Amino acid sequence: MVLNLTVNGDRRSSLADPITPLVDVLREDFHLTGAKPVCREGFCGACMVLVDGAPALSCLVPAALAENCEIFTVEGLAVDGTLTPIQTALEACDAVQCGMCFPGMVVTLTHVLMEKPGATRDDIRAALTGNICRCTGYERIVEAALLAVAAK
Amino acid sequence: MPTHPNFRVDRTEGTGAMNTPSARSIYVARSLPAAIDALDECGPAGAPFAGGTWIMRSPIRHEPHQPHYVAIGKIAELTAIRIDADVVEIGAAVTYAALASALADLPEFNVLATAAGRSANPAVRAMATVGGNLATSGFAAADCVPALLCLDAEIEISSRGDQVRIGLEHFLKIRPTLEPGRLLTRIILPRSDRKTAHARLPLRKSGDYPAAIVSLALSFDAAARVQAARIAVGSVEPVARRWERLEAALVGRPLDPAQAAEVAAELAREFTGRDSVELPAWYRVSVLPSLVRRAATAALGT
Repeated sequence: MVLNLTVNGDRRSSLADPITPLVDVLREDFHLTGAKPVCREGFCGACMVLVDGAPALSCLVPAALAENCEIFTVEGLAVDGTLTPIQTALEACDAVQCGMCFPGMVVTLTHVLMEKPGATRDDIRAALTGNICRCTGYERIVEAALLAVAAK
Repeated sequence: MPTHPNFRVDRTEGTGAMNTPSARSIYVARSLPAAIDALDECGPAGAPFAGGTWIMRSPIRHEPHQPHYVAIGKIAELTAIRIDADVVEIGAAVTYAALASALADLPEFNVLATAAGRSANPAVRAMATVGGNLATSGFAAADCVPALLCLDAEIEISSRGDQVRIGLEHFLKIRPTLEPGRLLTRIILPRSDRKTAHARLPLRKSGDYPAAIVSLALSFDAAARVQAARIAVGSVEPVARRWERLEAALVGRPLDPAQAAEVAAELAREFTGRDSVELPAWYRVSVLPSLVRRAATAALGT
């Protein structure tokens, strides 16, 4: 059975088992390795992608249920190589350490800034409940998000 | 070659069982009759798939997937919430996020709005469903179960040509043996004048499974004494249940959170906590009096 998915604006096909987690299809079939399978139970957020505009834990989405959806991974957020505001802010704040959590962070924060252009510190912290970072202590990530909010 | 269990070509290779990739399927049902027919046809090889947050974690629990799933998240009547003067009806595929949003302005349902709105994290709340929460026998930390127990919830179960309603407590007893082809379709909540609250203790401020949950719903007489009490405990034991002895102890007197906590401390040993990798059993029981105090305080504040 062929699974037809729309990823970062491109039509892609996979022969994966329909129950295969979307994160594995994205990484192994489409070589989009930004989303990371870490906890595989929806706690850490490292696998976060956008499905129909909303953050989705791709470790918990079976690939078959992602058909007929618009999927965006971290690789698809920048347009023509120009970093998005949140990517720019995270770089400016020197927020990245090991990088494991950052694709998921960027996806979640991209959604927050779309939904709440005037997001507060509390809004950002609440939105990041499902994105765990073991390196940074979160403060530079939150500061970067606030910087991106202020730049709008 | 990827090594995740889901990439194995055939977990039952050589056995002849119908578990080869070509035999596995996820059918997206667009109507309730279609879903029930599909589940009936699949028999024991099939299962409903709502949000899938439990099912998709099967590999890390070392459990095999079912060969066939019937996805019910696109069925309009299962994602509907109806709020009337006397009753609230919640479709089984309503997500936590949608439920919390729908109940946000109904103080009598604070317990359920909190349970749905504080569980897990935002992305899981957008996927996990109240029906899935109730139907999953193995999920001891389900927030919605104690919340619904103290709201006198009824459960509607549909199958080919049949629809029955049973009390939630009874459903919790029979759910491990629910026959294939029977689907939890709705949760029905009677409305009444009550103060409710949901106190949960996660390991961190948010995002974790709770160590223990106390949900309560209380009605008061004209003299501000507790007239009726429903108190449910979740995550301490494998299945959430009512705390009837504490309920009886609170009825007939004004609600004093500190006093309620003292009574809870005397009665807490009736619970047999469950051990798990993150917490020992004794801890889950030990925090119950504090959670009773928190829930009582929150209820008085509504």
